[in-house]
Amino acid sequence: MAVIRTIDLTKRFKDLVAVDHLNLDIEEGEIFGLLGPNGAGKTTTVLMLSTVIKPTGGTAVVGEYDIGKSPDDVRKLIGICFQEPKLLWVSTPWDVLNWHAKVCGLSTQERKKRVKQVLEDVNMWEHRRKNVHGLSGGMRKRVEIAKILIQRPKIAFIDEPTAQIDVVGKHKIWNMIQELREEGTTIILATNELHEADILSDRVGIMHKGKLLICDTPKTLKDSILGGDLVEIRLEKEATQDAFDELKSFHEVVDVVTVKPTNLKVHLNKVEEIVPKIMELFMKRNLPVTSISMSEPSLDDVFVHYTGLTIEEAQRKSP
Amino acid sequence: MRKLFFVIERDLRMFVQYKFLIIMRAIWFVSQVAFFGLIASRMVVPQLADIYFEYYVAGVVVMMLYSASVFIGYDIFEEAEHGVFEYLLSLPVSRKELVLGRSIGGGIRSFILVGPLIAITLFIIGLANPVNFLIAFFSLFLFAFGVSGMSITIAVGLKSADRFDILMGVLNAFIIRLSTTMYPQVFVQEANLAYAKVSEFNPVTFASDLFRWGVGIERYFTMTPMPLAAIIGLVIFFAIFTFVGITIYERRLEGGGWR
Repeated sequence: MAVIRTIDLTKRFKDLVAVDHLNLDIEEGEIFGLLGPNGAGKTTTVLMLSTVIKPTGGTAVVGEYDIGKSPDDVRKLIGICFQEPKLLWVSTPWDVLNWHAKVCGLSTQERKKRVKQVLEDVNMWEHRRKNVHGLSGGMRKRVEIAKILIQRPKIAFIDEPTAQIDVVGKHKIWNMIQELREEGTTIILATNELHEADILSDRVGIMHKGKLLICDTPKTLKDSILGGDLVEIRLEKEATQDAFDELKSFHEVVDVVTVKPTNLKVHLNKVEEIVPKIMELFMKRNLPVTSISMSEPSLDDVFVHYTGLTIEEAQRKSP
Repeated sequence: MRKLFFVIERDLRMFVQYKFLIIMRAIWFVSQVAFFGLIASRMVVPQLADIYFEYYVAGVVVMMLYSASVFIGYDIFEEAEHGVFEYLLSLPVSRKELVLGRSIGGGIRSFILVGPLIAITLFIIGLANPVNFLIAFFSLFLFAFGVSGMSITIAVGLKSADRFDILMGVLNAFIIRLSTTMYPQVFVQEANLAYAKVSEFNPVTFASDLFRWGVGIERYFTMTPMPLAAIIGLVIFFAIFTFVGITIYERRLEGGGWR
C-alpha cells in the first residue's frame, strides 16, 4: 500500500524547475532511496512532502492526507533528518533532543529513556552538555539524525544521513536506519552516495534535473543495463572457436572479448544465472577454468546509463 | 495546547543562553537611569526634578520592555540563517501554536529581563496602590506580547535581516520618540499637534502611562484619570499582532512563503 503518492508534484523557483512533475508511489515499510547529484531536486521533494515548502504544481498524499489541504495532519506522521543539521549554536545536544522529543509527544519517562539511549548509540552522550558551537560537523550531524531515532515517526525523511560522518560511524547509522525500518517506519532516504542507496534501499528512484528518471529495486535497475555484468575467465588452455561461439550464443551474453587466448572477458546480464552454464560449457569441452571473477554493475553504472554522466559530473553541472 | 507551552518553553530556554545580552541590557538600563535620568531631570524646574526623574525611570522600563520584546524578531533571522526555521516548520505543531507560542514566549522573556528593573523602579518610586499596579502589570504583559507579535510579523514579512534591523531602528525612533516614555503628552502637544495625535494612539504611550498610573504617578497621567482607554488600546494592539497577525503570517509561513 502506498504511504506516499506524488501526483505531478512540481516546484519552480523563478526560472528554475527544481522538481518537475514528479509521480511516485512509496510503499509502507520500505526504505526508498531518492538518488541523485546535488541540485537534482531530492531535498526540494523532501521539503514539499514534509509541508515545509509548498509545491507550485501538482500535489502529494502522505499517509491519507493531502500536503496542501491537511499540512498539520501530515506533520503528525513525519520526521525529518535534514541534510544540514538544524541547530542553534547556543543549544546543547541534550536540550535539542529533549525538546524535540517533547514536541513529538513522548511521555516524560519514555523521553528521558530514549534521549539517553540514542545519545549513547550515536556516541554523543559525553558531549550532551556542550554547546553546538563547540561540536564538529560530524557530531552535529549525529545530533541531527538522533532526532529521528528518538521520534520514530511513521514516515521518516532522511537527507544525506552520513554526510561528514566517518566510515565506522556510517555503518552504525546505516544499522540504525535499518532498525528504524524494522520498527515500522517508512524511510525516504535522499542521498547522493550510491553505495549507501544500494545497500539500504528496497527501491531506488534516480532523480536528475528535477525529473524522476527511473524507479525500481537496485537489482532490477542494475539488471536493466544490457551487458552490465562482467565475468572474467582464465582457462588452462586456449579457448576453441566452438566454445567461443557457444558462449556467444547464450542470450544473456552481450559480448565476449578475448584479452589473451586463455583470458576472456564476458559482458552479460543476470550473472548469477549464467555462470553455472558457462562453467558447464568449458567443462564439457575439456577446457578447465583456472579462475573466474564476477562483477555486477553498480548504481553508478545505472546512473551513467540513464543520464550519460557520472554522478560527480552531474554534480559539477548542477545549477 | 501542550505544544504551545513547549514552544514558549523553548524561547525561554534560548533566552537564558543570551547572558551577554541580558547583562548589557541591564547595564544600559542602569546608565539610562543613573546618567541620563539624573542629569536630564536637572533641566526641569527644581521643584519638579525628582518627579521628572521618577517619570523618566518608569518610561525607561517601558522602553526596555519594548526593545526586549522586539528581540524575538532577530531570533527568527538567526534561526533562518542556521536553518532552524525549516526545522520548526516541519514539527508536528500547528502554525498557530508556533506563532502564538513564540509571541507569548517573546513577551514572557522580555518580562524576565525587565522584571528586576521593575523591582528597582518600585524601589525608587514606591508603590501607592497594589491593585493599580497589578492592572498595569497585566497590561504590560499584553504590550510585550503585542510587540513580540509585531516583531515576528515584520521579521517574517521582510525576509531580510538587514532590512529588519534598519526598519526596527527607524520604527524604534518613531514609536519611542512619539510617545510619552520620556516626556508628558502636554509637551508633545505643545511641540506639534500631529506629533500629539501619533503619541496619543501609540501603544508605547498606553504602556508608559499605564505603568506610571500603576506605580502611582497619576499626577502626570496625561490621558484620562481612568486608564480604560490605554487598556483598551493595548488590548487592540495585542489582538491585532497576536491574532490577526497570526492569520497573516500563518499564510506566509505555510508552505515556505517566508523564504
